[in-house]
Parts: sequence; structure tokens; C-alpha cells
Amino acid sequence: MDETVTEYIRRTVLKIPREEIKAMLQKWGFLSEAQLETINFHQMKDNISQDVVKLCEENSADIKQAAVLDIIYNHIYPNKRVWSVYQMNKTGEETDFFDLRDFKKKFKRRLRSALQNVTVNFREYEDNAIWIRVAWGTPYTRPNQYKTSYVVYHSQTPYVFISVSVLKSNLPLLCEALLVASNYHDIREMELRSHSLNSLKDIVFKRYNQNFQTYRPRPLQERNVVPESADLRITQENRSEKERIQRVNREIFGDGPQPKLEFAQYKLETMFKSDPKMHVLDKKEPFRCLVKFHSPHLLESLKSLAAAGMADTPLSPLLTCIPEKARNYFKIREKKGFFPGSFVSP
Amino acid sequence: DPQTTAFLLRKQWTLYSVTPLYRFSNARLRDYARLLSACIAAEKQKGLAGGGGGDLAIHLPDLKGSDQDQAAILVQLSSRSPASQKNSEEKLIWSGWFCCVFGDDLSENVPEDFTCLPLFLANGAETYTSIVGSWFQKTFDCCFRRLAISPLNLSWMAAMWTGCKVDKTVSAIELVFSVPCLPHPLDISYAIHPEDAKALWDTIQKTPGEITQEEVDVFMDCLYSHFHRHFKIHLSATKLVKVSTAIASAHCDGIIKFLQSQYLTGVLMLLTELAISQIQ
Repeated sequence: MDETVTEYIRRTVLKIPREEIKAMLQKWGFLSEAQLETINFHQMKDNISQDVVKLCEENSADIKQAAVLDIIYNHIYPNKRVWSVYQMNKTGEETDFFDLRDFKKKFKRRLRSALQNVTVNFREYEDNAIWIRVAWGTPYTRPNQYKTSYVVYHSQTPYVFISVSVLKSNLPLLCEALLVASNYHDIREMELRSHSLNSLKDIVFKRYNQNFQTYRPRPLQERNVVPESADLRITQENRSEKERIQRVNREIFGDGPQPKLEFAQYKLETMFKSDPKMHVLDKKEPFRCLVKFHSPHLLESLKSLAAAGMADTPLSPLLTCIPEKARNYFKIREKKGFFPGSFVSP
Repeated sequence: DPQTTAFLLRKQWTLYSVTPLYRFSNARLRDYARLLSACIAAEKQKGLAGGGGGDLAIHLPDLKGSDQDQAAILVQLSSRSPASQKNSEEKLIWSGWFCCVFGDDLSENVPEDFTCLPLFLANGAETYTSIVGSWFQKTFDCCFRRLAISPLNLSWMAAMWTGCKVDKTVSAIELVFSVPCLPHPLDISYAIHPEDAKALWDTIQKTPGEITQEEVDVFMDCLYSHFHRHFKIHLSATKLVKVSTAIASAHCDGIIKFLQSQYLTGVLMLLTELAISQIQ
């Protein structure tokens, strides 16, 4: 059996947390139950992967099977990669009937016509998601299985989630193949990036809890009733402000959990404005800044800033518009109107 | 001297304040090197330091501010590759240096037997820093403490370094703020184009060559209010943890990177001052 294949399978198994290896191999289905029974899954991962490789050799695994195992791993642990969102457009109203076989055939053909040395594998999942794995080579070298791009395409939507990894130069070819296979006319990058694939889907498919204006017959004060026996000399001075913050946050962010993003970036090209009494900078050109926000869970973090006393309520629309505008990279210029790329002057 | 400056630039140095050394003698450098080597070898035996043969050297490079300053001490640890070939290359694995740049405040008030080198910079594995530090503490009865750089001092650095003239303005003025105590911690990086930041600073600074606390406050307030105008967040309520400019970058945990040879002495002078106030 090909040495590169065995080594690739060995390394893929090593990535999997030990408790999950058996389940993932079962999902893979390439090794029989009887074969899996022969492996001791409590030994060190190094030894487990050696055992798996031996069995794969018995079954003569080839690169296709190895690729499928990689897809399964990435489907279960998508957050190890950074995903960018792309939107495709087509002119005309017709919703073509989606033929999966046709899609796969056209995609492979378009890729291969430009670059012979690629490994292309597909896997479909119940939620209409098509996972595509592409391993890239060059005109003179075989595909490098460690340099892969992933595409997740929901065929009922114009959205594509791409994790390119190192070889960004292959991106145009990848996009072209997608357009040809899916019968769209053009594709654009949406300035929306994150490790959390599901959060990106939530944002783009509008699956997160948006701000519903709910009718609340009872005023909020009644919810936190202070027991009668408490000392009447003790009052919460900022209670009404705290409640206002809670209410406004609810209106803006909604009741449910926020989609999980790790960063947002703002390129500011607005004017510097100051109190004229201070006699400081009064240039006619923009004050150029680059602001980056980082957090394990950015939107929840921003939501908690006002209660912590570090931000005003309501928070700036530049931040709260992220899920609604489906982007986390912005360029802000001073303009009259309010739409992406413009800024409301105070 | 160009070789020394090249050695200092673009490396990450961890900062410590050091109390004066008792009975340190420039004439005994070779003895000290021998003793310290033995100490490190002993630690290696115990398995506490890395493997491979090592060479320890202690020099006195030319790194001072004024003539009143003590000569700096440089300790360097190199290792030869274990394949004991005669011409095998020596790799520098750890450096530490004591210095004092315009530190008259301290050295004036100290008795004869003491050597004042309040600033210590280390580059390399923490294990070696700790072995060398302990040896100096025991031998010269001094005390090492990690140098903390407060947000106040970081804002001074931001203002000062923004005003410096640099030949090619390539690096932005970057301020990094941290808000750790939220349910999900938040980091904010605020980078300003160096020309625009300098233009702002130039309208604030009244006397060239002099900076007042008030001017630094106005500078920071301007940056904070520009940020607030856009994001409605009060940066003044967060913690300033890092400042990066074309001159140098400094982190509140006491980490510095020198980026411009032209301003090396100036930054060292500032750090010496911080070390002295931490000791006192």
C-alpha cells in the first residue's frame, strides 16, 4: 500500500482525541466491526494509530478512503479551521433543479481541466450540506494531502463556506469550479470570517435569535422583588439604570445566545473631531485607524460591556450590526447616509 | 557601537529591577564566569536545565548613559552541539545584562561597596534566567523583581514615542487594551497611522524636548474620545497592556523590544528610571 496513504491515515488518527477514535472509525465504516474489536482503544494514541494503519493495509486502503476519514474529522471539528463566507449570484429567477451527480461531475471536471494534480472528494450530510475536500498539487507534483481546502455548500442557498488554508492562490480556481458546477454567474467574498462554522451559518441563514419586540405587560421592576423584611435604608441606587441596560440589550441583541465569532476588524477613515477649546488637531484629512476586537465569544463579550460600566447603552451600531449585516470586517468612512461603509456623525 | 546595538535590537527582553550589588568587582569577571558556569552545570546534573555542553561568558560592553553610570555587565550562555566536533558552531542560547543609563538618582545615595545596575534584561529560557538570577542574588546580596509597567507609564511611552521622528514611517502606533474580567474576556487593538498620530501629538506638545503629564493626558483623551465616538466604549475603563511603535514595543508584564538604534539610549533611560522607582 502507498506509504503516503498509510502515513496520512496515521497522522489523521493521531489528531482525534482518544475517547472519540472508535466512534469516528465506526462512522468511517472502512474497517469492519470485527476488525475494530481487535484494537485496544485504551492504549497510547501512537499505538492505536499503528494498529489502525495495519488494519487499513489489510484492507488495501487508498487515498479516497483516507480523504473521507479526513472529511469526517473536519466535519466533527470544523472549529480548527478559519472559514470565510462567499455569496453566489445568478441573474434570472429560475431555481434550477439541483442534481448532485451533475454538480460533482462538473466541479471535478473544471478543476482537473486547469490542474491535473488534485484530489477531490465529496460527502453529503442530512442538512443539505455538501462537503468538498480538495488536496492541491502543482503541474509537476502530486497532490499534497496536508495542503487541503474545504468547501461547504448548502445547495438550496447561494452561500458557500470556504476554508482555504495555505494555498490562497488556488482560490480563484476553486471559485470558478463552484460557479460552473452550481450554475451561478459570480461569487463574492462577504467579509465574514470565523473559526465557528456553525455560527457563520447561524448568521447567514438568520438562525440566531433576532431582536423581537415582545410585548411585556408587567414592568421589569416587578421581576426582582425585594423581600419586605429587608432594611429600607438600603436601596440600589443604579437599579433603574441597570434595568434600562438590560432592556436595551435585549432589544438589540435578542433573547437567545449570540453567534460565536472571535474577531471583528474596523478600518477607520473618519475625521478627528475634538472640542475646539482644546486647540488640538483640526485636519481636513481622515484620522486613519485600524481597530481589532478579539474574544473567545465576541458578541457576548460586547453585550456584557455596558453592565460592566465600560460602554454606553445602546452600544454603537457599528458593533451591533455584525450579525444582521453578516460581516465582521468593515471599512468606515465619513458619509451622509448610514449603510456599510458610512458612519453616522454624532 | 554597531555590533552591540544589532545584538540588542528586535529581540524580546524580559525586564527586572535589581537592587545594588554588594562587592562586585570588574576585575574578577573570569572568576564569576567560572563559578556561575559551575552552578549551571550543577543544575543540569539535576536535570533542571537543558542538555549539551555550555560556555558562559561575562563581558563589560560599552552601554552607559553618563560617565557616572556604572559599566554594564553582559552575561551570555552559548551551547555547542553535542556532537563534540572542534569546529562546531556555538549558538547563543541565553543573554542577560545589567545596566544603568542616567541613573544618578540611585547611585548618588549609595555607599562605596555597592554597584548600581538597577535594570536587568534577559532573553532566552526562563530556567536560565532563574539560575543566573539566584546566583547573583546569593553572591552579591541583591534582589531581582520583575519590572511591572503601569498603564500610566505605557501612556507616557505612547506619547513620547509618537513624537519621535523616524525616517520611514512604517509602523503604526498600536495600543492594546485588555478587559479580562468579563464573562468572555475581550482584547482591543487600536492602531493609528503614525503620521496622523504624530500630527495630533505635535498640536498638543508645547515645548519641543519637554513632555508634561497634562500633555500625555490630553493625547490619550483625544484617542479615547475618537474611539468612543465610533464604538461607544470607554477605553479609559479598560487596562492598557501594550504599546507598540516604530521606536519600541512595551508590555505591562515587563517585556520590551527595541526597534530603533537611534532611540536605544532614550528607551533605556526611561526603563532605568522605572527600575529605580520600583526599587525605592
